[in-house]
Amino acid sequence: MKGVWAVFYREVMFLKPRFLKVMLSSIIYPALFLLAFGYGLGKNARVGNLDYVVFLIPGLITMSSMNQAYGISLEVHISRYYFKIFEEYLLAPINRWEIVVGELLYGIFKGLIPAFFITLYALISGIGIRLNLVFAICLLLHLICFSLIGYVIAMLVKSHADQAAFSSFVMVPMIFLSDTFYPIEKMPALAKYIGYLFPLTYSTKLIRGALLGIDSMVTFRNFALLFTITFALFVIAIWVTQRAEVV
Amino acid sequence: MTEIEVRSLRKRFGNIEALKGVDFEVKSGEIFAFLGPNGAGKTTTINILTGLILKYEGEIFYRGEPFSPHNLKFKKLIGVVPQHNNVDRDLSVEANLKVHGYLHGIFGRRLKEAIDRVLEFTGLTNHKKRKADHLSGGMKRRLVIARALMHNPGILFLDEPTVGLDPAVRRSMWDLIRSVNSLKGCTVFLTTHYIEEAEILADTVVIIDSGRVVACGKPDELKRRVGRYALEIYYQDRIEEEFFETREEALERLKSLDVPAKIREVNLEDVFLKITGRRIEV
Repeated sequence: MKGVWAVFYREVMFLKPRFLKVMLSSIIYPALFLLAFGYGLGKNARVGNLDYVVFLIPGLITMSSMNQAYGISLEVHISRYYFKIFEEYLLAPINRWEIVVGELLYGIFKGLIPAFFITLYALISGIGIRLNLVFAICLLLHLICFSLIGYVIAMLVKSHADQAAFSSFVMVPMIFLSDTFYPIEKMPALAKYIGYLFPLTYSTKLIRGALLGIDSMVTFRNFALLFTITFALFVIAIWVTQRAEVV
Repeated sequence: MTEIEVRSLRKRFGNIEALKGVDFEVKSGEIFAFLGPNGAGKTTTINILTGLILKYEGEIFYRGEPFSPHNLKFKKLIGVVPQHNNVDRDLSVEANLKVHGYLHGIFGRRLKEAIDRVLEFTGLTNHKKRKADHLSGGMKRRLVIARALMHNPGILFLDEPTVGLDPAVRRSMWDLIRSVNSLKGCTVFLTTHYIEEAEILADTVVIIDSGRVVACGKPDELKRRVGRYALEIYYQDRIEEEFFETREEALERLKSLDVPAKIREVNLEDVFLKITGRRIEV
């Protein structure tokens, strides 16, 4: 486990001088969505029995925490291709899975920052959310999933351009098609089918269900799908790291 | 004792055969230099020996045991100073060393002692709290060496350790490498394209060119194979070298020339020139 701690320590030390910036950016982005969609367009709107703002809050938690967890992609890529710090990990007497888990913990840590602040806002502003173990487990699984996507992409792509292309073609559509801002069931057929391919759809449903007490969303099927995707990503992450060479 | 034994090492990158069957041995406690021009295969060899390249052909033995890139035992044995200063620029000198310590399972008091020891050894004690990015090029190089020494490796790999450093810093780096070898009893494997560096530091030199070992031996032995004195003849369009066993022979030839010429002692570049017909171009 020494490798896990070393990688996590390095990443946290790297984050330390940037923490305020990361914190502010992870608050501003969802705050703008909340203002524009929640208190602007959706002021008097309802989704089923819920006020739109109440519907939106869990979506903002998943969307913004996903962005932060996935954001490790850029950092891992830079440390591997430009600063070559990743070589230190490859040279060290640690198992390669320890690198994956260390980066994963960092992704979870980063993802918790916006999740904490949005949840805090929801509690202070009286939006009726319930904090419980199911929410904690689902949020953790969600953060693991997107940290792994970020890590795998960082290991597979060869340039920033490829990384940007992945963000444009996968991450941005995922934000809008995965039940975050609008119920996926009300989307046009094609968008709905695409949305169901994204893990964010299942994590948003699970987290919304857990926070708002909607049992029909916290289903075994949603959890199993998210868990399976996450497990597959973990296997891929280990596989690519085992084969990683100097670049 | 043989520290590293390499047999028929081959590596291909697409259509390019970077190593074409390299053989050599590194003896325990020596400074071993891999000398050759850029693109000769020096870094590829180091990357294979340190497990940074996983796919290759050939056999490698560390202290008689077959090497496997994923076997952690070998990684504990080696320290690596890569060609680029891959320090974490945003971290302090101390934090850089801490990360390396943690990676090698050094914690608590042992970690603190190891950090103080390597900082003192490399002359960076007063810079412990400085951000690595604020160090000069030479200091960053020292930090990379300090980092590689944190876990007391038995073999230290240095890939072009003085490239890009000014002459004064280069000399101080040579002193440091000698100290690593003599005071710490560490076997040193270094690659270089600087003739002087190999001559001054190395007990054994392997000259590599286009992925093949072209000569191997002690620097003096290698030079003897060429001669003792070189006569550099400056023709209008080229410089040619001729080699002689005695200064008198060289002088006699000099007198017979009607173009400028200079007598000097043979160096390792002459060995390279004699074998390959080319100079070591950097």
